[in-house]
Amino acid sequence: MKPAAALIAALGLGLAYPFLVGDYLLGVGLSFLMWVSLAQSWVLLSGLTGYISLGHAVFYGLGAYVMALLWTQVSLWVAIPLAGLAAGLLALVLGYPCLRVRGPYFVILTFGIAEFVKYIVVAIEAGLGKSGRLLFGGPSLETLFTIMLVLALTATAATYLTRRSRFGVALRAIREEETASETIGISVGQVKALAFVASALIPGMVGAVMVLRSTYFEPLQVFNPFLSFTIVTMAIIGGSDDAPGPLLGALFLVGLTELLWASAPQVYMILLGLLLIGFVLFLPEGLAGRLLRFSRGPAP
Amino acid sequence: MEIILSGQLVLATLVLGSVYALVAMGLNLIYGTMRLLNVAHGEILMIGAYVAYWAFTLLQIGPLISLFGAMALTGGLGWAVYRFLVRGLLAGSGEIVQRIEANSLLIFFGLSIILQNLISLAFTANERAYPYLDQVIRFGGISIGADRLVILGISLTVSLIAILFFRYSMTGLAMRALIEQREAAALVGIERDRVSLLVFILGFALAGLAGALISMTEQISPFSGFPFTIAAFVVIILGGLGNLYGGLLGAFLLAGIEVYGVALTSSAYRSILVYGVFIAVLLWRPQGLLGGKRIS
Repeated sequence: MKPAAALIAALGLGLAYPFLVGDYLLGVGLSFLMWVSLAQSWVLLSGLTGYISLGHAVFYGLGAYVMALLWTQVSLWVAIPLAGLAAGLLALVLGYPCLRVRGPYFVILTFGIAEFVKYIVVAIEAGLGKSGRLLFGGPSLETLFTIMLVLALTATAATYLTRRSRFGVALRAIREEETASETIGISVGQVKALAFVASALIPGMVGAVMVLRSTYFEPLQVFNPFLSFTIVTMAIIGGSDDAPGPLLGALFLVGLTELLWASAPQVYMILLGLLLIGFVLFLPEGLAGRLLRFSRGPAP
Repeated sequence: MEIILSGQLVLATLVLGSVYALVAMGLNLIYGTMRLLNVAHGEILMIGAYVAYWAFTLLQIGPLISLFGAMALTGGLGWAVYRFLVRGLLAGSGEIVQRIEANSLLIFFGLSIILQNLISLAFTANERAYPYLDQVIRFGGISIGADRLVILGISLTVSLIAILFFRYSMTGLAMRALIEQREAAALVGIERDRVSLLVFILGFALAGLAGALISMTEQISPFSGFPFTIAAFVVIILGGLGNLYGGLLGAFLLAGIEVYGVALTSSAYRSILVYGVFIAVLLWRPQGLLGGKRIS
């Protein structure tokens, strides 16, 4: 009952938010929700299975591309789900072959694939003679915020529920001991591929929404590897084992972004790198894990 | 057919391949002895390139001399990274090895971001280049920049020295022993900690050297190292992870694919080509073309 109440409270607060604040804070809220959606989706795959994806920008970018291609052709309400579907389809195609590769190789493989797709889109766009596409007449900031609110809540609920489901137990079993999981009857290949697809759907839709916010599609921008890097950092800082982690991580990094990004982008990036290293080395369970440990008292 | 036999392209392949061999050797050493994939390797190269650039621009010292400075600085960085990041990581737990490896990759990724932005903060993100030995030499219908010939000469010499080092010197043999038999190496009295430290210093210094060489012909920017990281990955995966001689073969193979691929299509497809090979190799033959250890 408690999580459901929290969800309804968050929905209520989110729906009221656009009426309470000005455009600037609404924009900050939108980017917070965007990061929550992305980081939750990432946790669903990488946090639970231990297969660290450094290429989630590919799903975001593909979603944005689908939106840019379909813009003014079909309704927004068709284009956004299609963007998610396209990302899911890409994950389905990539899932089986990629998830056979483990550990650090999976990490660099996902990175490589994201870059590969980026340069293919760049080449296609150059072949079509386009240098960026303008997306005029998009919905208002309030509408985008509300859509993103739904995506963020869905992603959060998905991570929360998955973590507590039979499927989630299978994912975590794979993280802890893949061979043993297979032995006790988990169809490892299918489970991993399913998680991969699930973690791609929402980033695709997020990309579609955010490209409308920027009103401009440029492949190098939407497929930016920095996006993947930030998602990972955020989830690691917050804690990547359960739904509260990405919320904390996103809150923390959006705050940091507002403080530093505009005035000192390099300092911001350096801090991000330091935080990532620090958390991986000294606090791998993240802020959420640390808080949880405090509230439960010392481990027996 | 004509294009394949063109001396110009063969020479270009040799030059690029010899640089890749240097870059990849450092990465391979560190991977082989410690199973750590140093994603910040390209940034180390970039720092070496900046040393050469500033030595030339401010002090009028040519890269053939400043490359020693570049090696000293990046070697020192290797010492610091091992001492302050890696040792803690290796010592710090009985966790599943695989997860440490994935985590170590995140740490090096963080390092790479930090270095890129530190350099960008200090020297701006502008692309920089300087003219050095840029006269063209012609022989038998082939024309090539003198700078490229120098790069080829130095890289091949250093690779040769490295091969001799790994064959005949005690330290080189100890490094190879660690690569091939980590546990047994300790049994025969190899100090893993000391050799690992040397590996980091040597690996980083090789990247710094490659950077100083590359600065003669390429524009450098804080972000110009990363493509070399990717190329070095492709090379060592092609040649077999931890396999030092395979890496040499992989270097010339990748250089050939890149040079001929671009010559046959267009330079716009270079990144697609390199990443394509990268993905294909990881998916289909992660143990490398020469076989060797399987990745799991």
